[in-house]
Amino acid sequence: MNEQIPSNILVYFFREAFRRIWVSKRSSFVAVAMIAISLLIVGAFLLISENLGRAVTIAQGKSRVEIYLANDANPSQIAAVDRYLAGHREFARRRFVSRDEALRRFSSYFTNLDPIVRQLDGNPFPPSFECDVAPNSVQSATFAREVNEVRAIAGVDDVQFDWEWVRRLKRVVNVINIVGLVAGGILALAAAFTIANVIRLTMMLYREEIEIMRLVGATERIIRGPFLVEGLLQGILGSLLALILLFTAFLVARRLLPPANALVWSFLFNGFLPWQKIAALIAGGTIAGYFGSWLSVRESGEEPA
Amino acid sequence: MIHFYHVTKRFDAYSTALHDVTFHIEKGEFVFLTGPSGAGKSTLLKLILRQMRPTEGQIVVNGRNLNAMKRSHLPYFRREIGMVFQDFKLIERMTIFENLSFILTAIGLSAKEHKKKAYGALRAVNLQHKINYYPLQLSGGEQQRVAIARALINDPLMLIADEPTGNLDPDLAQEVLEIFSDANLRGSTVLLATHDRDLIQRSHRRVIALDHGRIVDEKPATAEKPAARGESMFVNWS
Repeated sequence: MNEQIPSNILVYFFREAFRRIWVSKRSSFVAVAMIAISLLIVGAFLLISENLGRAVTIAQGKSRVEIYLANDANPSQIAAVDRYLAGHREFARRRFVSRDEALRRFSSYFTNLDPIVRQLDGNPFPPSFECDVAPNSVQSATFAREVNEVRAIAGVDDVQFDWEWVRRLKRVVNVINIVGLVAGGILALAAAFTIANVIRLTMMLYREEIEIMRLVGATERIIRGPFLVEGLLQGILGSLLALILLFTAFLVARRLLPPANALVWSFLFNGFLPWQKIAALIAGGTIAGYFGSWLSVRESGEEPA
Repeated sequence: MIHFYHVTKRFDAYSTALHDVTFHIEKGEFVFLTGPSGAGKSTLLKLILRQMRPTEGQIVVNGRNLNAMKRSHLPYFRREIGMVFQDFKLIERMTIFENLSFILTAIGLSAKEHKKKAYGALRAVNLQHKINYYPLQLSGGEQQRVAIARALINDPLMLIADEPTGNLDPDLAQEVLEIFSDANLRGSTVLLATHDRDLIQRSHRRVIALDHGRIVDEKPATAEKPAARGESMFVNWS
């Protein structure tokens, strides 16, 4: 008893689903709005975490390690450090800063402190290497090991590398992602139940037609098809509405916030969601809609007296 | 084709719709099911369509034991039956064509076949000119004929009708009877529930009479001259 569904049945499913959404405009609007609100919240969290994530990536790209040498480091020790840095790809562009250059730089940065420095006996600044860290290497175990190896090279006094803030920012991004997904998941579930109730109401409205269909030999799949498609369409409409609202809000906020506020700007307005996350939001809405209608139709079915 | 074996249908301890009913209708027969209101005719038809299950007894229709039939097989079983309901069961928001086409969609026929089949079925009941009307634009008799057209549209093995002439004047009732007779000639087994005694008497068909849920009389088909109008062939159930 395998049921074959010809293409005109699918046309019938969609035509009926659109018509039922139109007939029950108000309740359909509530269902679509619920999905849209849920996905708007998820989308907002995703957008923030996406931009923070980009900020982390940029920060990682700009990360620098400073290797301070002993004041009395001899040229062969300096050359050994230089060779080590050159031989490991985690250390990107490097630059040697001599003691004199360090002093000059300090004097030019802090001109008001220059007289004090001049009163000191000799140059207090050690020679150093300033070295960029290769992208995506900052948090790698290899890099951490190599930093320790540099520390152990003779003539190296200290290695300074402040990447704790990057770690913290990453943790913030993860927390935002989790909060967004949990809150969005709960709201999406609530939206699915709203859709389930809307579909249940629609099924009650059409109970006479459903009864006639059953009596003339329509299978449950054919009877339920339009209701499932109705939930699916509500989910898709809800997710599209959420994306439109999110994009509008993103554009408006970017216009209202002055770019002078560089930190907030770089953290929040680097760009909109990538297509993969947009697709995931639409898929989420579609699944929530389908799940809601499935909850309703699975309860239906003829049980002879 | 339709076999009832000691079928009883009870709704509760005080209400028995059918009591120990046994009868057999063979393939190609035309049978009237008659009796007064509340005799159990509609319940019997619902049992055949498996809208309900018997409390006791067995029902076999077209070789299938309805008590043992899986729910998933029910739609395919019902497609073999053309049912005409007492209240027509037409969908008011749909045109006559859509009411018929809807059935063909439900049973999975392609759109190409819809128009041809719908037109043919409506021509059989002489309503082809009203194909684009809505049910509420038709008279009760016309709605009844549309319901018959819908039952006939899929050339069913069995045609079952519940009071199909209840809303019709005698001439139209005769016309409807002829439609059922034509379907019977084309091979459909017909079971027609009615309390229209004149119609039964004019037709010479086999009759099963129910009263208070029991079979109280059975008459085989006859080629004899029908009884005069108003003269009862059966027990007096008043």
